[in-house]
Amino acid sequence: MTDGALIVQSDKTLLLEVDHPRSAEARRAIAPFAELERAPEHIHTYRITPLGLWNARAAGHDAEQVIDALVTHSRYPVPHALLIDVADTMARYGRLTLTKDGDLLVLRTTDRAVLTEVLRHKRIKPLVGERLDEDTVVVHPSERGHLKQELLKVGWPAEDEAGYVDGEAHTITLDQSDGWSLRPYQEQAVDGFWDGGSGVVVLPCGAGKTLVGAGAMAKASATTLILVTNTVSARQWKDELIRRTSLTEDEIGEYSGARKEIRPVTIATYQVLTTRRKGVYTHLDLLDARDWGLVVYDEVHLLPAPIFRMTADLQARRRLGLTATLVREDGLESDVFSLIGPKRFDAPWKDIEAQGYIAPADCVEVRVTLPDGQRMAYAVAEPEDRYRLASCSDSKLPVVEKLVARHHGEPTLVIGQYLDQLDELATRLQADVITGETSVTERQRLYDAFRTGEISLLVVSKVANFSIDLPEASVAIQVSGTFGSRQEEAQRLGRVLRPKGDGRTAHFYTVVARDTVDADFAAHRQRFLAEQGYAYRIVDADDLD
Amino acid sequence: MGTYCREVLPESPPPIRSLADDIRGRSDEELTALLAARPDLARPAPSDLTALASRSSTRASTARAVDGLDTAHLLALEAAAVGGESVTPTALARLLDGADVDLVESLLDDLWRLGLVWRAPQGLVVTRTVVDVLGESVAGLGLPADDLPGPAAADDETLRAEIATAPPRARAILDRLAWGPPVGIVPADDAPGRRGPSDDGARWLVAHGLVRAIAADQVALPREVSMVLRDGRVHRQPRLDPPELAGVTRQVEQVDAAAGASASEVLALLDELLDSWSQNPPRVLRTGGLAVRDLKAAAAQLDTSPEHTAYLVELALIADLVADDGEVDPHWVPTAEYDIWQTEPGGERWARLALAWLTTTRAPHRVGSRTDAAAVINALGPDGQWPPIRTLRRGVLDLLAGVQEGVAASATDVAEAVRWRRPRRVPRTLDAVVAAVLREASWLGVTGHGALSVGGRALLASEGDVQALAESIHPHLPAPVDAVLLQADLTAIAPGPVTGSLAAFLRLVADVESRGGATVHRFSEDSIRRCLDTGWTGEDILAGLRDASSTPVPQPLEYLVRDVARRHGTIRVRGVSSVIRSEDEGGLDVMLAHRKLAALQLRRIAPTVLTSPVGPEVVLEMLREEGFAPVPESASGTVTVPTRPARRAVRQRAVDPALVQLMDEAQLGSLIAGLRAAEAHARTRAPMTMDGRTGPAIPANDPTTSMAVLREAIADGRPAWLGYSDGIGRTQRLLFYPERIDGGRVTGVSDGVTRTLSIHRITGVVPD
Repeated sequence: MTDGALIVQSDKTLLLEVDHPRSAEARRAIAPFAELERAPEHIHTYRITPLGLWNARAAGHDAEQVIDALVTHSRYPVPHALLIDVADTMARYGRLTLTKDGDLLVLRTTDRAVLTEVLRHKRIKPLVGERLDEDTVVVHPSERGHLKQELLKVGWPAEDEAGYVDGEAHTITLDQSDGWSLRPYQEQAVDGFWDGGSGVVVLPCGAGKTLVGAGAMAKASATTLILVTNTVSARQWKDELIRRTSLTEDEIGEYSGARKEIRPVTIATYQVLTTRRKGVYTHLDLLDARDWGLVVYDEVHLLPAPIFRMTADLQARRRLGLTATLVREDGLESDVFSLIGPKRFDAPWKDIEAQGYIAPADCVEVRVTLPDGQRMAYAVAEPEDRYRLASCSDSKLPVVEKLVARHHGEPTLVIGQYLDQLDELATRLQADVITGETSVTERQRLYDAFRTGEISLLVVSKVANFSIDLPEASVAIQVSGTFGSRQEEAQRLGRVLRPKGDGRTAHFYTVVARDTVDADFAAHRQRFLAEQGYAYRIVDADDLD
Repeated sequence: MGTYCREVLPESPPPIRSLADDIRGRSDEELTALLAARPDLARPAPSDLTALASRSSTRASTARAVDGLDTAHLLALEAAAVGGESVTPTALARLLDGADVDLVESLLDDLWRLGLVWRAPQGLVVTRTVVDVLGESVAGLGLPADDLPGPAAADDETLRAEIATAPPRARAILDRLAWGPPVGIVPADDAPGRRGPSDDGARWLVAHGLVRAIAADQVALPREVSMVLRDGRVHRQPRLDPPELAGVTRQVEQVDAAAGASASEVLALLDELLDSWSQNPPRVLRTGGLAVRDLKAAAAQLDTSPEHTAYLVELALIADLVADDGEVDPHWVPTAEYDIWQTEPGGERWARLALAWLTTTRAPHRVGSRTDAAAVINALGPDGQWPPIRTLRRGVLDLLAGVQEGVAASATDVAEAVRWRRPRRVPRTLDAVVAAVLREASWLGVTGHGALSVGGRALLASEGDVQALAESIHPHLPAPVDAVLLQADLTAIAPGPVTGSLAAFLRLVADVESRGGATVHRFSEDSIRRCLDTGWTGEDILAGLRDASSTPVPQPLEYLVRDVARRHGTIRVRGVSSVIRSEDEGGLDVMLAHRKLAALQLRRIAPTVLTSPVGPEVVLEMLREEGFAPVPESASGTVTVPTRPARRAVRQRAVDPALVQLMDEAQLGSLIAGLRAAEAHARTRAPMTMDGRTGPAIPANDPTTSMAVLREAIADGRPAWLGYSDGIGRTQRLLFYPERIDGGRVTGVSDGVTRTLSIHRITGVVPD
């Protein structure tokens, strides 16, 4: 029995004791193949999944290393079956390789039985062509993505070594004239991506994913297509690229609902790409409009399913995915793996926070008690109305007022889901409100005002959740939100976690109606926060001084 | 050795002509060895050596001894049986593909000791029963030519020459039959009974006496020809040496550590399973056993595979930790032994499980498969018994113990070795059984990383000694921890095995989320409420958590406990039979104080409300007796007026009694007239003569009458005439001297012959 920092569980989770003297070493050893699932204060939980093991294989680790890491750091003997399972799973990656044979794209195997097995699958058979010899079969270039998807589904992920087209060259360099440079972890992320060819970089909100994108573009020095979640985000990408790279305004085009520009660097929204008219995607041509050398996907975890299908046809181009989390609520993690690529870089939030790039956050759940009248109304309400009833209770209003008053002068966001509730809050707090109906110009104006400190309080709806950049927000108060979505929680926390100039503590409040489904959902979110390692407290509204 | 050839010894006792002679001539040691090797001969004790000899040559006993042979001895025995009347070791070694003569001698010696062969002056003789047990086609050889139709076999040289001249098709047939089975069906065209163009096949062989036609389309290869074809060998590749067990070599420390971890996990899983069965015991099926649904539920609870779960519940049964409670509606509940077992140190707990597993005849791996009768085998059910498993399990473990320490033999190798050791006794499913035994051994910690652990070695050597066994495993069981880590995400992590009261507390207050080296427990509203329901208070729980934790209780957890405790019990429920309401609080005071009303056990739950466990009718009556004026209320609170309708019964439909109809005079008259007429008719009826005897006419009586007449005749000792309808429906007349009546039959003498007649066949009786 060694005195390791790691405990291996039979359900393939790994428990890492944080306060153990060798925990950092153990963490480095297991990070390549295990996904961090929870990171509360004492013991962090990692999980070994096939995807994680294949990610590790793709990054050049072998089963020997994985087993060695487990055996070396484990406090108790590692179950034999688990070791065998790890070795078996890892051995499945790389048995099949997609490569170029002259001009032909071929699927090659080191194990004939495997090739024979997969070729017998009904869904794989139509994707391949002639069998050149025992070990090689021709793949039509247009099926490169589909084939990888299907192979992953049957548990034989293919290694894609077929290379990429260079694309149309276009000189892009990082503009570091004002003494600015990439942070070390951003450099690592760019290098990790470039060496791997295609793949996903996982960084928390506020850790500068845009800059990783810029770094990758500078490496590629080719025409680039950037896919982002919405228009506001597109504008921010554009601003950031102009500021940080040699690109000028004329070289960057915006392809959105409002504008349809195609330039050497084009930023398009998911929405415009997925617009359909009479069942036909009208803007698909964009993907072939230029000979793109790099495709960047912002917020990969939100990538809509149709974009996956389009991406399946873009397999010959380098693809960079950027995200704060690989966890998708829809379970399409495997499509991210097969179509965008394996994970190339990952850093636990807390580690980056410890490096001082993210403001520490203080998370507080404030519980309000519903007045008796509303309790009755809640009790007799239909189940589908209950959440709205509970989360929109007016008993939350004075609490929000109190919290806003407490942080008077600090840039504060009040976030909610229901428009009438937001309107009412805006009126009571005498603040501006941004919803989906607010025009883009108005939105930009308000954001700018908020950024400059002209206004310090904004009431925002869920449109604010994604890809806006509010560097000075240091207080967020959440009054209602989608049903306990972990993803949303990550986004919202990201809002207030942007680096602060003075290192102040950020505050994140959730106002919750006690003993209702609102509190149940809050429990989900809070669990997520605690698992991410944020200390949180629960206080009663009455105890709020 | 070489002492089996008695003729070479200087002074020979009288020549041995049979197994009985041989056995009679054995020394005491040799006889002891025989009885030890074949214990069935000794029970019950045979009366003398001849009896012992004859018992040893019974088919059952011989088959038992032959089945117990390993491959080397069996091959030697087969070769000896093929070898004919008497064989010498040198000849036998030739038959066994040139095996080492010393080895063959020692094998024969063992067979002689077992009484399967006996030593005749000219060599060794295989007993006739052994030949019988080995069957007709020993080692795939056919019958000798003498036992087949056709001429006697030619000598080997001639046969060899004939075979050499065989045309290719004939040669192919010979090659097919050479290594058995020695009988083949030939295509119709080729059949020996027919004439046809292809005379180079079976017909050629028959013509040259190399095969014999035993049916129109079947040919058999005589044993002599087989032996020539086999080049004088009985077996193609006789394996006289036991197969080597090879495998990966592991570090002994790692093996023991892994086994210790498995042992610790088995204990934790059983604790959890039986703890939950104490609360919610599963039902015993009508056929005995555990329902598939309950097994699945246990698997879900323990997060183990179906096979592993079946093993755990079976282990609980064979270690007497769980039993059928024997109630009318029976359930599987933990036993009192479980309570003792639970408090023992880990080593002892494991030792008891391991010993029970080693000797059980239950086979957990069969759970879920089907019996021969196609019924699914339920865990804990009677079909789980499979006696062969005990020997097989022991055999597998002994093999593992036989290899070098730390070597993990592969399942295929082990199965191969088991098969070599008992070729005639392995079940069809041997590979699966060996895999199952190895799996179970690894779950239990008898092996670690596939190699026998120190605990496993101790188990094989223990002979039931719990203490020694416990000491062997003890250093390898992970040390129990006495504190857990509480975290803000509402988990408690025990970074090692937890035991005793701490484990029980954690199971009560939280749900297990993940198992292994550590245990992750999750707190939830439900789990806290469950704990509060068993009588804990919020403060108790927090105090318990503080004691159990090496870190402060996180605020969210504390809040959760307090929040659930705050709401817990704010609503109280009690059962009452009647409620007394009154605005007159003074009146209620009086009732409470009233001595005669004490029997109502009144309780005040509000200033104007009393309750009583006694029903409302009694309460009303007693209150009235004591001078109160209560009014009954319905359940919804309205006053009910006691309407008392006069009581009425529903008219019962009367059933008319059966009456004897009175008769009028006219009817009586005609009746009597009829009787008289019958009497007169009888008197005028002529006597009948039959069988040379004259007798009265026999009227048709009902059996009751017949019996009465017969009884009278018996009492008077006189004969009676009776009519008897025989088997074919004829009515016979008999002068019958009845002796007794019983069971609907009458026994008596007629014409000097004792006969027994059925009463229902008697048509009528007339006294003589």
